[in-house]
Amino acid sequence: MNARPIIEAKGLTKRYGALVALDGVDLEVQPGESLAIFGPNGAGKTTMTRILASSLKASAGTLRIAGRDPRVHDRETRAMIGLISHQTFLYDDLTARENLLFFARLYAAHDAEARADTLLRSLGLIDRAEDLVRTFSRGMQQRLSLARSLIHEPQIVFLDEPFTGLDPHAATVLQCTLERLRGERRTLLVTTHDLGRGLDLSDRWVILSKGRLAAQGLSREADRATFESSYFAHLAASRRVGATA
Amino acid sequence: MAKRSSHAATALLLAIVGVLMLGANFMVFVYAPDEKVMGAVQRIFYFHVPAAIVAFTSTFVMLGASIGYLWTRSRIWDCLARAATELALLFCLLVLITGPIWAKPAWGVWWTWEARLTTTLLLGLLLAACVMVRSYADSAEQGARLASVLGIVAALDVPIIYKAVDWWRGQHPVVFGPGKKDPLAPEMRATFLFCLLVFLLLYTLLLVLRTRIACHEERARDAAETVAARGEAG
Amino acid sequence: MSRPARPVSPGFLRSSWIVASKDLRLEGRTLDAISAMAVFSLIVLTVFNFAFDLTTVRSVGVSKLVPGVLWTTFAFAAIIAFARSFQTEKFRDSLSALVLSPVDRGALFAGKALANFVLVLVLQAALLPLSAIFFDYDLLAVAAPLLFVVVLHTLGIAELGTFFAAVAVRVGRGEALLATLLFPVSSPLVISAVKCTSAVLEGKPLASVQQWLLVAAGFDVLYFLVALVTFEYVVED
Repeated sequence: MNARPIIEAKGLTKRYGALVALDGVDLEVQPGESLAIFGPNGAGKTTMTRILASSLKASAGTLRIAGRDPRVHDRETRAMIGLISHQTFLYDDLTARENLLFFARLYAAHDAEARADTLLRSLGLIDRAEDLVRTFSRGMQQRLSLARSLIHEPQIVFLDEPFTGLDPHAATVLQCTLERLRGERRTLLVTTHDLGRGLDLSDRWVILSKGRLAAQGLSREADRATFESSYFAHLAASRRVGATA
Repeated sequence: MAKRSSHAATALLLAIVGVLMLGANFMVFVYAPDEKVMGAVQRIFYFHVPAAIVAFTSTFVMLGASIGYLWTRSRIWDCLARAATELALLFCLLVLITGPIWAKPAWGVWWTWEARLTTTLLLGLLLAACVMVRSYADSAEQGARLASVLGIVAALDVPIIYKAVDWWRGQHPVVFGPGKKDPLAPEMRATFLFCLLVFLLLYTLLLVLRTRIACHEERARDAAETVAARGEAG
Repeated sequence: MSRPARPVSPGFLRSSWIVASKDLRLEGRTLDAISAMAVFSLIVLTVFNFAFDLTTVRSVGVSKLVPGVLWTTFAFAAIIAFARSFQTEKFRDSLSALVLSPVDRGALFAGKALANFVLVLVLQAALLPLSAIFFDYDLLAVAAPLLFVVVLHTLGIAELGTFFAAVAVRVGRGEALLATLLFPVSSPLVISAVKCTSAVLEGKPLASVQQWLLVAAGFDVLYFLVALVTFEYVVED
């Protein structure tokens, strides 16, 4: 069962002048795998997500998405990626359905209308399909944003801090939805501060600190009770390494 | 070692240009004869026109450097583009200052909206906008990229503006024209050409210096960022 | 398991249309830009009426005064539309989603420019009759050539306005930047617009200003191509 990894990153580096946001990150993600990315603010999580999602170019290193170089095959790569972030990317003055259909058309998605209805139904938004997005709560907007990112049936879905700003109920609804996505064998990369939810949603986890991979492991082997303290231990260790480097 | 020799070369060039500028001043104020119609004030011509030529030349250097930066993303092109933009703006201002000084005695008004002055004013505004973009940008990389794009847009516009304004107006004294008998006495032509040469050399020197300073500024900013980042880590 | 081959993204024309129709639908629903432009234009026209009253207009001549007034009004009002077209994309960072999609960046530009072009034309359709009333000239007699001149020159202004609005929205305090960039760069177009409008109002045939029409057409084509090529550098990160 050695399928080619769907994401292969080697030596991924991103420099902003002298600031090194990512420093030689190697990462492999198998198709259908779910990866949780932990790390403090400024660790490079968003930078890495955006480089992997091909919306940002790396300064150095190689990246292959489904075997292709995103810089060469940029349109095919972007067609197979969906991304949600703490910004919803939605148009407040369009209805939920209009938003989904707009993005479906941009991606030349099959059966846009049917797909939009299915997504709205599965995310519990079908009753509000004809309402303007400006009338939605934050939780509903986040779910609609997820629908937007899935309308074109992407093989890889990036979720950059999706639980930010959600109340516990909305966060639970989102989590159930993401569990369902895992069931559909999509590749998920979730960046989050919520260690518990991150572990629940993932097959593997990595910790990013100061632009480097500080640690990684399998989620099912992680002990929930002690994970938080070992997380901080990994971060402290990486800082020591950084200081002597 | 290389640094010292480049400093020596710069110092030598500075000295040469300085001497040449003194020579040019001599030619302008002593050697060249008074012009028949306008008298002494016409001598501004020897500064005004070369300044204009330099301003437009620098705009095209900016065009080339902007394309170079977008193509290679290497910083040296951005530093060159920045230097060329600023120098173009500087020489533009010189044209816009010397123009009215000449216009008042010659035409009786400080300013008219005739072709070349209007073109130069528009060019100055374009260049000022390019400089603004850089300072407004969030990051140096974004500023460099946007300034390059704008530099290309602006530089491509210059010939169009020139032609359009020319068709629209036309009051500027045309000194060199096809089929006109050359109104310049030989001494005046020599003075003009010499001044043009000096201006171009001065421009080249300033361009090299400013590009170098811009690169140093970038490096200094990088170093400051590294120190700040390490400070947070500790 | 083979997937049926399907296009990765819509073609250039279709993508542009998708973007343009989204913008027009948003504007149609909120009427934000149109209403702001209309109010602003009305104010400016009224101010010009105080600046040049009817006696002055008649003595100087409609064809000498009105073109300048019209194009100044159009240009300043159009800025409202251009700025708004990217502010809506900034609000929830939708621009990032557009850039993430497989759509060609040039098509993004073309779509937004098309929508802005339509909006400014709608404004002009309302303003021209109004100016004919305010300044007392016969619009119907010159309607066809005037329409041609207006469309030709508005196209170029919409292209540049959209492009610079994108630049301005990427940059921190960009509102001032849009006007500062647009007016100098589009000055040949404005000169041509005023010249051509003046000729039309004087009853002259379009052939009398054909060099200006060529300048405008060339300008429109040149900057469309420049924008298509360089837009990705403006919107990328």
